[in-house]
Amino acid sequence: MAATRRLQKELADIRRSGIKSFRDIQVDESNILTWQGLIVPENPPYNKGAFRIEVNFPAEYPFKPPKINFKTKIYHPNVDEKGQVCLPIISAENWKPATKTDQVIEALINLVNEPEPEHPLRADLAEDYTKDRKKFMKNAEEFTKKNSEKRPAD
Amino acid sequence: MSSPQGSPDPAGAEEGASNETIGNEEEAGAQSEQGGSSWPQPQDTDMKRAAAQLIEKYYFQLTVGCGNAHCDNPNCASSGKVGTLTSNEAAGKALQLCAARARLCEVVGAKVRRASQSLTLEAGVASSVSGKGHSSASGNTATCSLVQDVNMASVSTPSSALPPLSPMVDGLNTATGLTEETLVHTIAECRSSNNYAKLRRLLWAVFSNEIALRHSFIQRSEPVEKKSELLVRNKSKDNEGAQSKEEIRAQEEDLDKDLDSAEDTACEGEAAACAEATPEGDTKDPCKDFATTPNSTALDISEVRRAYAALFECPEAEFSSTLTNAVVQLLSDSLGIQLRVYKDAFSAIPNNINIFIILLESPALNTTDFIEGVMPSLCRTIGQLPERDQAHLTRHLASWEAPRLHRLLESLHQLITIRLLTTEFIQDFTINDEEAITSATQVMKLLFYASILGGKLDTPLLRDLPAEDPSLEPSTHEDPFSSVGKDWAARPPPKDSLGSLLGIHVLDARTPLVPLSEFYDDFLSDQLEMDRDFALYKAGSSDKFSFLYYPFILTPATKALGLYYDNRIRMYSERRMSIYQQLIEGMAANPYLKLRVRRDHIIDDALVELEMVALDNPGDLKKQMVVEFEGEQGIDEGGLSKEFFQLIVEQIFNPDYAMFCFNNESRTFWFNPNCFENDAQFTLVGIVLGLAIYNNVILDVHFPPVMYKKLCSKPGSFHDLRDWNTTLYRSLVELLEYEGDDLEEVFMQTFRVGYQDVFGTSLTHDLKTDGDNILVSQASKHEFVELYADFLLNKMVERQFRAFRRGFNMVTDDSPLVNLFRPEELELLICGSQHYDFMELMKSTEYDGGYTSETPIVQAFWELVHDMTTEDKKRLLQFTTGSARVPVGGLARLKLIIARHGPDCDRLPTAHTCFNVLLLPEYSSKEKLRDRLYKAIKYAQGFGML
Repeated sequence: MAATRRLQKELADIRRSGIKSFRDIQVDESNILTWQGLIVPENPPYNKGAFRIEVNFPAEYPFKPPKINFKTKIYHPNVDEKGQVCLPIISAENWKPATKTDQVIEALINLVNEPEPEHPLRADLAEDYTKDRKKFMKNAEEFTKKNSEKRPAD
Repeated sequence: MSSPQGSPDPAGAEEGASNETIGNEEEAGAQSEQGGSSWPQPQDTDMKRAAAQLIEKYYFQLTVGCGNAHCDNPNCASSGKVGTLTSNEAAGKALQLCAARARLCEVVGAKVRRASQSLTLEAGVASSVSGKGHSSASGNTATCSLVQDVNMASVSTPSSALPPLSPMVDGLNTATGLTEETLVHTIAECRSSNNYAKLRRLLWAVFSNEIALRHSFIQRSEPVEKKSELLVRNKSKDNEGAQSKEEIRAQEEDLDKDLDSAEDTACEGEAAACAEATPEGDTKDPCKDFATTPNSTALDISEVRRAYAALFECPEAEFSSTLTNAVVQLLSDSLGIQLRVYKDAFSAIPNNINIFIILLESPALNTTDFIEGVMPSLCRTIGQLPERDQAHLTRHLASWEAPRLHRLLESLHQLITIRLLTTEFIQDFTINDEEAITSATQVMKLLFYASILGGKLDTPLLRDLPAEDPSLEPSTHEDPFSSVGKDWAARPPPKDSLGSLLGIHVLDARTPLVPLSEFYDDFLSDQLEMDRDFALYKAGSSDKFSFLYYPFILTPATKALGLYYDNRIRMYSERRMSIYQQLIEGMAANPYLKLRVRRDHIIDDALVELEMVALDNPGDLKKQMVVEFEGEQGIDEGGLSKEFFQLIVEQIFNPDYAMFCFNNESRTFWFNPNCFENDAQFTLVGIVLGLAIYNNVILDVHFPPVMYKKLCSKPGSFHDLRDWNTTLYRSLVELLEYEGDDLEEVFMQTFRVGYQDVFGTSLTHDLKTDGDNILVSQASKHEFVELYADFLLNKMVERQFRAFRRGFNMVTDDSPLVNLFRPEELELLICGSQHYDFMELMKSTEYDGGYTSETPIVQAFWELVHDMTTEDKKRLLQFTTGSARVPVGGLARLKLIIARHGPDCDRLPTAHTCFNVLLLPEYSSKEKLRDRLYKAIKYAQGFGML
């Protein structure tokens, strides 16, 4: 693996820093290009659960951006039904090879906590979010309770 | 006139150009000088000349005056009774006076003489000794002056080759180089007296005389003397109060320049001496050539430009016709004849190129007068220059800024258009015989190379590349095609002698100063009779002009026609040969390239058939192709071949076949380096591509531009990544632009790189031995990037590409294809122009968020889109999908989604390029939609952060 050196360091750094909102990072020893981890949001309505994501690094990493997928279903204007998320920091147009994975994860957590209805992947949710926040919150909370993973104890 | 110094009456000719009678007499005089004994009545000529001189005297008297303050002659300017005359009026009046034998003041010319003496002093104080010697010996023929010039150059370095003085004919100094000061001074004088005759005479004297022009605006090397001299002069002038402050400032600036350039000039002398030391004609190292020659012009360009600027501040009517006439006279007479007769001697004169540089600097370059009056003879003369001088001139043009180059190019196009419109072309006089057009084309070639040379070049340059090692050819058992007798390895790209002199090749162009497509002349391409031009091209004789030798000026469509003729001729000759063969050897040779294939085994069958042909007789590939589908009765009149190509291309690029990897971003295919197929398959693809060109079929293949460049024998380099693997390219640029000392820690990049094969498996490659343990640093980042690109574009796919190219060359090896087409044109030839069928896109588009195809704003959107230009459609595609390319299978494959993005508001439309989603607020009107949409696609670069 070409990117091994860098990814191993990034992984070690992230584990060591112990971000509260991103834990339980699992990486298969034979394939460091795929990470899994648990997003633990702070803000309602997502603070009722945790969301498993997968980060896929391309072989050309860091010259090509990683991709992020939600493994856990989430009711969010910026994540589509398949779990795909459109995160500017890792879009092909904006990607910078100096960007570290912890910055990417941070951006993702921010997006989960603060949806951006300006650039929705699900237009219906975005409209609810801007127009009828109450309804949105209610739906999202119910959906989260039903579908999300358990939050870690501490 | 054959000799510039023999020009007896410049002013007469100058004004005479507007007057029939004088003009004819002038011409007669000139002919007698050239033709010598062929003129039957020499007395007659003398009389005519005498008359011309008389008229000229009257003319001067009318415009300048005799200089006598108490003059009472009503026809003398000094008496103050003449009034202001234009040059034409003055010439007419002079004629009348001559006919009437009117009174002529005795001292006519005194003032002129005085003025020109002061000019001489200003222009070359230190030159008087050598200059006078030169002038007194001046002969009357061109050879003489040539020889003298060469002699002068050999004794002195260019910088000290001082302007010689020439005999003063009729009070005019004809061979002193012009300087800015002289000009500015004269202009000021003319302006204050509101009589521009003196300026006209000065212009005529300089611009009609090649020696004068050659020595004009030379960088001066004696700044100290000059300075003191100038200062003295300035002081005295100040006292008189005759000089404006601006002028003094200009002169002082000039002085500073002199001082600055003094050192340069000294170096030049040395450089020139070094250049002399190496054997002449040794052009092995064009780079060195390039480094030394521009200096040897020793022309002060900024001075030329300032002088022109000063001149063009004068009222144009006062000087422009004089200038034009003088230049035409220079070009058509003295220079034109010299070039035709003494071509080699001419090129030995130092600074001869200065003449053309000065002329091309003219701000009037794109006025109609210049284009129609001067340009034809200027082009003709430049076209006749020896190639070395053309190269020299090209280097100068390369130092121009782009808009200037563009203006000159436009002037040339305009000249061609005017000539095409106004000339009546008949059977025996075609466009190829129209000298103004052909020579403009020749000059355009200089511009073409200048544009490449002055722009960004691809590194390494083509000439620096090592020749390919034939021992790297794969062994025979891998690829049956490789045993085919002829050596199909890379051909060197065609050379152009001008390009070789400059040390560049068209393929080296990365970003030329002027886009190369600007050189296409659509009108010419339309009007050109390609069959005739092609015949001339094939005949290859040097005395006949063929535009196919200047492929940059022809549009790809026109060139394709030329190629079509070439292919057809080859096909017919192959067919004829096979009939002869049949007669002689009794063998039933097939006049066609016949392929029998089964639809469901198209690749295997085509492979076997083509392999047989290639092994047996590769020449058969150049026969006309005829395809037969097994079990079908269709006869191939072109339709079946088309279908064959279509089917085989579909198969080849089928991901299941895994011969090529697909790049999602640029929607292009690249060779799969880990392909299981043997090289023969790739050779087949090459043959198919070649056959498609040869048989005039357009293929739906999607290769990145670098592939076509490689087919033209230029390997891929870093910048080629941009059009194939955009994100990777951008990231690498980021790496290059990172300036911090902590590059190693931030990027943690080693010389081992990862890549993915067609099945998604991650693989690695060490760009250097033990690459995994070498970190990329500030010092090595450029090396890393070059190695990385070289690996991806060349090394990784070397085996596949070699096989592919071998196949391609089997069909096209002796066709003029690569001489005529640049890589981007080759792509156009193979793939056709990209077809933006937005109707198809509309049909396949889905809607979301409350929109349907019936929503008014959606309908307004499509109305707008269908009215867009292709450029804007491309931008829209780029904006919504991240790529302006049409995907394989057409736009319908894009699966565009248009989603409602809230009610009417001022936001711009946005897009998710990852999912081909266009977010469109429901604007209140079509006008608003138009405004917002155009803003979005024109100004939105990068992610939708608006």
